[in-house]
Amino acid sequence: MAQTALLVARDLVALLRVDGRNARVLDGVSLALAPGSIADITGPSGSGKTTLLRALARLLPEVTGSLTLGSVPAENITPTAWRAAVALLPQKPAIFSGSVAENLRVPWTLKERHGQQPPTDEVLAAALVSVGLDDVALDRDAARLSVGQQARVALLRVLLTGPRVLLLDEPDAALDDASSDAVGALLRDFVEAGGAIARVRHHRSDGLATQRYVLEGGTLDALPAGVPEPEFGEVSL
Amino acid sequence: MTDTVGGVILIGPWQLATATLFVVFVGVLSIRLSLGITKDLAIATVRTYVQLLALGFVLRLVFGIDSPWLVVGLVLLMVLAAARILVKRSPDAPPGIFGSAFVSMALTGFLITFSVTGVIIQVEPWYLPQYVIPLAGMVIGNSMNGIALALERMFADLDRREDEVLALTALGATPWEAAHPAIRDALRAGLIPTINSMAAAGIVFIPGMMSGQILAGADPVTATGYQIVVMLMVAAATALGSVMALVLTYRRRFSADGVFLEKGFRDDAR
Repeated sequence: MAQTALLVARDLVALLRVDGRNARVLDGVSLALAPGSIADITGPSGSGKTTLLRALARLLPEVTGSLTLGSVPAENITPTAWRAAVALLPQKPAIFSGSVAENLRVPWTLKERHGQQPPTDEVLAAALVSVGLDDVALDRDAARLSVGQQARVALLRVLLTGPRVLLLDEPDAALDDASSDAVGALLRDFVEAGGAIARVRHHRSDGLATQRYVLEGGTLDALPAGVPEPEFGEVSL
Repeated sequence: MTDTVGGVILIGPWQLATATLFVVFVGVLSIRLSLGITKDLAIATVRTYVQLLALGFVLRLVFGIDSPWLVVGLVLLMVLAAARILVKRSPDAPPGIFGSAFVSMALTGFLITFSVTGVIIQVEPWYLPQYVIPLAGMVIGNSMNGIALALERMFADLDRREDEVLALTALGATPWEAAHPAIRDALRAGLIPTINSMAAAGIVFIPGMMSGQILAGADPVTATGYQIVVMLMVAAATALGSVMALVLTYRRRFSADGVFLEKGFRDDAR
């Protein structure tokens, strides 16, 4: 598995300042994501699930350990190129001022994608339909979308850039069941095309995961197939 | 009763005492109405006396000595003081921005002041203190306010928009790209007071320098020319200084890897 893995993390250690003290939020976490895999990460509130995703996206200062993407060590990839390839979708969808189309094309305003053609209106419209946003016009003011609609626009914005690995922080926290199913179908297409996904999730299982982990006390433990995920009593907001 | 020098009516001890009486009256009013401003008013009045009298004597001395080094040194001192105030007025800024604040203030202060005295007014000699020091004071004092506003706004804004900054960085943005919306808004915020005063000048109020020249007996139209030059150079200095200060400092809130340092990731308690 290690040879074929797309994203490999070894011995990630992250210290965070919590209430004025240093806490080892990640204490030697290792993880390998092969193409086609979806890894679900659960764990109690504050156990560092978001921190882990940020470490994988190289969005965490002062983290030690090693990361490789397609067997290229992280040191040989610029941070911006890494983040374009290992794309994190934060839990709180960030919507920029402007229309839905402008929001979806934000990635192409960045130097990292200089020279790449942004997706056409047709591509964007089809993408909206694929997540059940048929009734959202491309020129709609993005700030006026509901939280669930904004979450899907933020997901599409990341997906349209064509990353190799997706890191999703509670992607369906703000979604109803129908939109959740539409997003699930999109994620399945993504991994079938050779991508890999790590998701932070709560107890609600959608049967998509190929690997399941529990992050607790700074360590990541694999859950064997068939063992139900422990309930952590978290409430999705 | 009144003495005049070159058409200017002199303010002597009696005139000062009369003016002070008004402040004393306000002080009494404040005590009677328990407004709680008596102490502040008293301190401010004393400071006005001490600081302005000191300034008057220092300027008289400097004008008498007529040395370019002294003039440049004095401007440098003003820049230094302005940079210190800048840092103090930006509580949301990371520590260690004094150097950047000083460089921004110094470059704009010297560049704009000496451009005006050397190219526009063409004073002889180039360091003529009667022109250089008051103009430098106006450039440095006014641009300091704008730069302080811009700096504080940018760092407060970055904290307020940390979700947006994270999302942009996650999409592959460089720190410059992630901070750009905050930098743009900060620049605008820093310039608004200057633009407002330019728009209101002559309609709502007679600007300070023009008032001073008119009181000193200058022809109002001559005074207008000076005032326009001063307002334009203050606007230019504020814009230039703000851009420089923002560009030199925004990166301090990002790690070497280009990650925005949210409150939990900072070494400082600020």
